[in-house]
Amino acid sequence: MTEILKTIGKAEIRKDAWQKAAGKALYTADIPVNNLKHGIVFRSPHHYARILEIDTTDALNMPGVLQVLTAEDIPGDKIFGPLVPDQPSLAQEVVRHLGEPVVLIIAESRKEALAAREKIQVTFEPLTPVFDPVLAAKPDTPQLHEDGNVITELNVQDGDIERGFEEADIVLEEVYHLPRISPGYMEPETSLAVWEQDNSITVWVSSQHPFTDQGFIAAALDLPVSSVRVKSSVIGGAFGGKEDSSLSILAALGAQAVKGAVKLVNNRRESFLAHPKRHPAQIKYKLGAKKDGSFTSLKVEAYLDTGAYSSYGPAVGMIFTETLTGSYKIPNVQVDTYVVYTNSPISGAMRGFGSPQSHFAVESMVDLMAEELEMDPIRLREKNILHPGDKIFTGVIINETANSLPICLKNVREIIQRFQAIKPSPGKKAGVGFALASQSMGLGANVPDDSTHRLEWAPDGRILIHLGSPDLGQGLATAAEQITAESLGIPFDQVVTLELDTLDSPNGNVTCASRMTYMAGNALIDASEKLIQQLLIHSSRILDVPVENLLYKNGQVIKPDGSKVPAVEFVSRLAEESIVLCSESTFSFPYPEDTTPQHLPIGMPHVLFCFGAQVARVEIDPELGTVDVTHFAAIHDVGKVISQAGVEGQIEGGVATGLGYALYETMLQKGDRWVDSFTEYLLPTAKDLPHHYENIILEVPEASGPYGAKGIGEITLVPTAPAIANAVYDAVGVRVTKLPITPERILGFAD
Amino acid sequence: MKPIEVIFTLNGKDTRVSSDPNRTLLEVLRNDLGLTGTKDACGGEGECGACTVILNGKPVNSCLLFIGQVMGQNITTIEGLSEKGDYHPIQKAFVEAGAVQCGYCTPGAVLASKALLDNNPRPSDQEISDGLSGNLCRCTGYKKMMDAIHLAAERHSND
Repeated sequence: MTEILKTIGKAEIRKDAWQKAAGKALYTADIPVNNLKHGIVFRSPHHYARILEIDTTDALNMPGVLQVLTAEDIPGDKIFGPLVPDQPSLAQEVVRHLGEPVVLIIAESRKEALAAREKIQVTFEPLTPVFDPVLAAKPDTPQLHEDGNVITELNVQDGDIERGFEEADIVLEEVYHLPRISPGYMEPETSLAVWEQDNSITVWVSSQHPFTDQGFIAAALDLPVSSVRVKSSVIGGAFGGKEDSSLSILAALGAQAVKGAVKLVNNRRESFLAHPKRHPAQIKYKLGAKKDGSFTSLKVEAYLDTGAYSSYGPAVGMIFTETLTGSYKIPNVQVDTYVVYTNSPISGAMRGFGSPQSHFAVESMVDLMAEELEMDPIRLREKNILHPGDKIFTGVIINETANSLPICLKNVREIIQRFQAIKPSPGKKAGVGFALASQSMGLGANVPDDSTHRLEWAPDGRILIHLGSPDLGQGLATAAEQITAESLGIPFDQVVTLELDTLDSPNGNVTCASRMTYMAGNALIDASEKLIQQLLIHSSRILDVPVENLLYKNGQVIKPDGSKVPAVEFVSRLAEESIVLCSESTFSFPYPEDTTPQHLPIGMPHVLFCFGAQVARVEIDPELGTVDVTHFAAIHDVGKVISQAGVEGQIEGGVATGLGYALYETMLQKGDRWVDSFTEYLLPTAKDLPHHYENIILEVPEASGPYGAKGIGEITLVPTAPAIANAVYDAVGVRVTKLPITPERILGFAD
Repeated sequence: MKPIEVIFTLNGKDTRVSSDPNRTLLEVLRNDLGLTGTKDACGGEGECGACTVILNGKPVNSCLLFIGQVMGQNITTIEGLSEKGDYHPIQKAFVEAGAVQCGYCTPGAVLASKALLDNNPRPSDQEISDGLSGNLCRCTGYKKMMDAIHLAAERHSND
């Protein structure tokens, strides 16, 4: 008999929403601290230059200035980096991108720190920058780092592509260009650090992994990790961009230097210039197919521009590479991916992590192939989609979740018919397009991919979740609370999530990679079972009844005579004995040795995938070239809905970000500068979203997921841009191969 | 610069601040008055709407107002909506419709919505998207915000 679920799948109201709507939620910049000092960063005015001299004398003499720090003043490690330590906290000898931090000024007030910044004198010798990753990858181009400009080269192959192309009746080749875009979280990077009298430090961060900050800070300040306490504040969005240190190292260095409290807040321009973006990509994509539509061969050569420092570039290159076959079975594949240093702003993690770039190529090309084959694009996809048991080119066998792909396409067919029946507005040309998407879950094989979380049964009967990974705003805490409430059979209202504090919290690892509901959910189900066992053992002692004769259900202990005792009676009594019921569980992402290919670089492959599809109807003004997305449907398989409102919110928000990628967003280089404000960098507003919007949420269970759930955070923006691009082609016959799809590109005024 | 004395109505109360005249209302609210519900997302350039307050019934970016400009004016911040501990119907609608994710844009969006509904109790979709178009949000895709405004409008007309 299936047990009826009480809270899983419901649109529970997230508990933090009240404080947020009231303006009372404390983000890092809002935390009140006595005697607060303010930090301001002097940043490089050059894309690439040698530092000849730094003179801070005049700045130090300015009113209110307490300390002026350069790289020389850093007591510990001067370099950090999440994967490759290559990024200076403050530049030494050379600056490699515009906006790179060079000097940190600490003053009594922000105004005084800003005034002192004007007095910093740095003598630079400008060098010739390189911005084109293809050029940068060449050995005769000046190398920005000791180990060369190509930080990662991934060559993955399967089968024989030459034979595959010979078997093909049609071979198509196209080059796709993807822009540099910003995660665009509303809360800019902020950190607050307080030096304590015992020579330890407490740092508040807006970070996807406070434990990483803790390690970076300890290394830079030359302190033992135990002397660094990092606390997660309420986080104003992250989308991958806060996997890197968001000013935490600099705030901590400042606090150590003045032995006080120091806050650093980036303005939007600093955020644009100095914090990670989505990798621009150049993708040469060659696909072969037989007349019957079956794909025979794929060859890809791609360059990802990781900017001045590596950030998560090498890992982005991996997921990018692994998703280049999209949702399709292609027997012969060769991919060569180069992740390359340039003098551009840093690229790193951002929602989708390489998959939005790869999918623009895949899904544009598959539509083009359908046209060349004179085949219905849905039919072509049906013919080539992955099925459970199929082996993809990395050697990974796709599991049952691929059963969602035919269902996605069935929905697409029905929606397209409806959207095509709508008449264009007067003077407009209408078109309908769609795209499929796949997105990996988890951090990849052979890297630590574990997540630990803890439950505590409070004496008042409530369950406290010591969540080891922060909620970035997407609603992780709500999902964790629903899973815990369901597993313990207690009301959702009785479960509370505590803010992450490295002093007390378990390490849940980084909130990213569409993995948190899956990882935390599995850990919390296990922790709930352990908590029940503990309760029963103590109840057995208190009641003097053998433990095997006791049962637990829905917050109550059931005695042999069938009478029920609320768990809170035991928990409160145990509290009097100074016994706290606590359980902790670690979930490790499954990479079974016998089925996980071991021939790839560390971090590859990813073995679990989510699938989805999106359908767009656009109307285009043929004279102005403007695109209006009028109708939109998003079809996503989540395995099992945990939080209805949370899942819908993830999809709707992802589509909006995908729409920005498709139509508006690009961090262009204009003359000697980068677009660095929302005036020129256009985020979608409420007026840009489709007038008609529908979510179709599928539940094809993932056997290893909590209640069958899998990830949803990233895939929601993956098919959006190619779906819109395919709709644009349907409307006006223009195949745009460069994002964003600007009016100039539609009208043929720009390539 | 010599500080000036500014007297204005803030959340229904007479308020007096002494400030350099070239500081913004946003700075004074957050730093002098401790009202940190008003947010800064674009660096004080009037591009994001996170710092929206209501000035004499109209939504404005508080980062673009010098403190001297609010002399004698009536200002409502997010803190003024739930002062007595009871949430304003628009705050309730935002929470219940699932329109709050990271929440950083929420105070500004709630105030823009209040100004909209105060002037137009039953707005159309078009009027709502116009009313919210000055408030950037990266989390929600605006859909649930629009649902929330419809919800608040319906509840109000049913009262």
